[in-house]
Amino acid sequence: MSQPAGHLEELREIVAEVLELEPEEVADGGDFVEEYEADSLRAIEILARIEKRYKVEIPQSELNEMRNLKAVYDVVARYAGWGE
Amino acid sequence: MTGVPITGCGVLTAAGEGPAALAAPAVAAAGAPAVRVDVTGLYEDLPRPTASAIAGFDVRATLGRKGTSFFDRATALAIVACGHAVRDAGLDLETADPARIGLVLGTTTGSLGSTMDYSRETLVQDRPYLVNPVLFPNTVMNCASGQAAIWYGFKGVNATVAGGPLAFLQSLRYAMNALDRGFADTILVGAVEEFTPQAAWAAELAGARPAGEAAAVFVLDRHARADGPALGEVLAVTTGFSPTGGPSVTETLTGCVRRALARANVSADEVGAMATGDLPGETAESDAVTTVLGRQVAHLGVGDALGDCRAATQAVALARVLAEHRCGDAPDGGLTVITGRGADGAVTAALVRGWRDAGTHRG
Amino acid sequence: MSRVVVTGLGPVSSIGIGVTAFLGGLRAGRSGVSPIESFDASGFPHRHAGETKDFRPEAVLRRLKPEAWGRSSQLAAAAARLAVRDAGLDPGGSWTGGAGAVIGTTSGESQVVELLVAQQLADGFAGMDPEAIRRLPAERLAYAVAEELGLTGEALTLATACSAGNYAIGYAYDCVAGGEADVMLAGGADSVCRWAHAGFYRLGALTERECRPFDAGRSGILTAEGGAVLVLENADHAAARGARVYAEVLGYGVNCDAGHMVAPDEDSIAACMRIAHGNAGIRPQDVDYISAHGTGTPANDLVEARAVRQVFGDGAPPISSIKSMLGHTMGAASGFGAIATALAIAEGFLPPTINWTTPDPGMPWVDPVPNTARPAEVRVAQNNGFAFGGNNAITMFGAVR
Repeated sequence: MSQPAGHLEELREIVAEVLELEPEEVADGGDFVEEYEADSLRAIEILARIEKRYKVEIPQSELNEMRNLKAVYDVVARYAGWGE
Repeated sequence: MTGVPITGCGVLTAAGEGPAALAAPAVAAAGAPAVRVDVTGLYEDLPRPTASAIAGFDVRATLGRKGTSFFDRATALAIVACGHAVRDAGLDLETADPARIGLVLGTTTGSLGSTMDYSRETLVQDRPYLVNPVLFPNTVMNCASGQAAIWYGFKGVNATVAGGPLAFLQSLRYAMNALDRGFADTILVGAVEEFTPQAAWAAELAGARPAGEAAAVFVLDRHARADGPALGEVLAVTTGFSPTGGPSVTETLTGCVRRALARANVSADEVGAMATGDLPGETAESDAVTTVLGRQVAHLGVGDALGDCRAATQAVALARVLAEHRCGDAPDGGLTVITGRGADGAVTAALVRGWRDAGTHRG
Repeated sequence: MSRVVVTGLGPVSSIGIGVTAFLGGLRAGRSGVSPIESFDASGFPHRHAGETKDFRPEAVLRRLKPEAWGRSSQLAAAAARLAVRDAGLDPGGSWTGGAGAVIGTTSGESQVVELLVAQQLADGFAGMDPEAIRRLPAERLAYAVAEELGLTGEALTLATACSAGNYAIGYAYDCVAGGEADVMLAGGADSVCRWAHAGFYRLGALTERECRPFDAGRSGILTAEGGAVLVLENADHAAARGARVYAEVLGYGVNCDAGHMVAPDEDSIAACMRIAHGNAGIRPQDVDYISAHGTGTPANDLVEARAVRQVFGDGAPPISSIKSMLGHTMGAASGFGAIATALAIAEGFLPPTINWTTPDPGMPWVDPVPNTARPAEVRVAQNNGFAFGGNNAITMFGAVR
């Protein structure tokens, strides 16, 4: 199993690709909509790529939570059982 | 009569960027062979290794990464061609009222590549709905015009005309009407067609000419000053349909050319050239034009040199006509008839004037 | 500028084919939604759509050979044939000379595209059927109408997605008003397809089986199909032949959000309404009824309602969505809206928004004509159409003066 930092960096790469940024441009707390011009389509695609990558199912209702990288990590960790 | 001024042109074809490339002998000479590039690096599954595609077109290099990585080729080409046209026209987007700038683009089916790929995903993914939401807008035929409007902030009338080989003149007619009715002061009008495996195979299997690739966009400015710079002007665009059992395609096209001249109040002997959709060996359209004009005139087609650019065919033809006036031998203020015919009996004709030196001379 | 009137209506819809059946469906608040049959929907959580299952092209078409044309072209041509019949225009009469057809669409021959995809998956690109490829170009929707009716005027397909029907009506109106033609057939057509169903589901914009525009619990669209064509005619031409007139076309407005491909824009939609009102020469307070774009997604209906509020203030007229009955027929949608609007004016009633149970506290000014058609005198009506790409188009209709 990868370490939390490994997961965070993987998520950073996924987010960066969908938001058309370099991974280093995605700050842990950077708001996707306010700072990176994300929209609902891109948010759904981020969710979709995460689901595919980690073989988890995350309901679209969680999208409201997933406003920045740290929040995405927390949601995914909860559904993927990373913290256990 | 005065037409609607064309104040700018942006064009990308296999021949290169800009209208001058279309007047070069390698493209413009009668019987010039097709300009083909190696396309095996572009896609894997193609019917032929070479095609009249736009070599080295790289949207990220041209427009940057942000906002472009999910564009299909048609959308990216349209945006780049719009940018060239805006610059050529000296249109200042900072000061212009965005609500008064419109965009009309011609197509055949939108991006067939995007649409087929998207549909394919619904069949090959674990679940049919596991498609990429960001790519969904690429499946609508107005994707290119919608994205270009977003890119440049054009908030006026925005239309997409599905017209296949007639798409550009149909778009031009739509744009002329929109200007006439006051829906915009400035309209960018053009057509785009991308090279993809789907397009290449569709052409191959249907027995058509090999698929080409092109985008050409023009700036029409209703209120351009009469003594201001212009590449040319559109005097009239006419269209008609020849249903089974009705008037023949030739009669219908002849009627279109006659109406275009009548509308512009121009006599046949003032027309100096034509650009038709005839392929090498065909004479249906040029015969119709010759019948109306009563004499042979120069033929300014691009023949087979750029492959089948489908919806962009007539837009490339107009760019070529204007290039002949701007940097070739065509007379200043000379008139050209542009024609086209579709597979099902539809025909179009336009009458345009070209200026040599961006309108410093006016007759 | 000549006056332009609506003299014929040709709906091919899931709630009725032909004007009598369609009017009956509108009055009764009938739902055209049913389990999907045109493609295998078993892998989708939501499996309902508004398919026109009763459509038999050979029963309506007289000249067009259905096998040579895709379903959307068939729908367009059949709708046009019905509209001409309704208008009492003599088939093959002299009116066809110079008459034209303008048809709007979102996805053109989408079922042909999906057939080619199936062939590609089975046998590679080389396995695609050349005959299917010939049925593919979207321009054929308008050509199908011209061929079916023997028209020799302009034949134009406008592919401005889900407002395309209104784009078509607007342009055809200009053709008649400006003297280009005495008669134009205008409207839209689209076919249900798998990729649109998937895309809307993926956006979270597809509801399960009841489309509930303007309801607090609305949860999305239902994909749907159909052909919707109107006869637009020079008023003098119509009067000279003693034609029955449903309504007058007063004008239209078009503009573009230039903001987002998918998300609607309140200010831009409000601006489009003002353009339409200006073009039609009417004031907001003249409008008695709005046929909404009303897709039933949370975002569209709220934005649309707010734009109405912006333009109409406290005086917003009733606004109902026939998508509650038909689902979202894409490029045909505003064509159906126009037909419903013309019928509202001619017959003196407001089509209902069905499936409506709970007011949305975010839009208290909206009267969605809930569930039951309502008698009303409609003198001026507005027909909204919005689309992917931010292509807004609004047509205005009025009672014959």
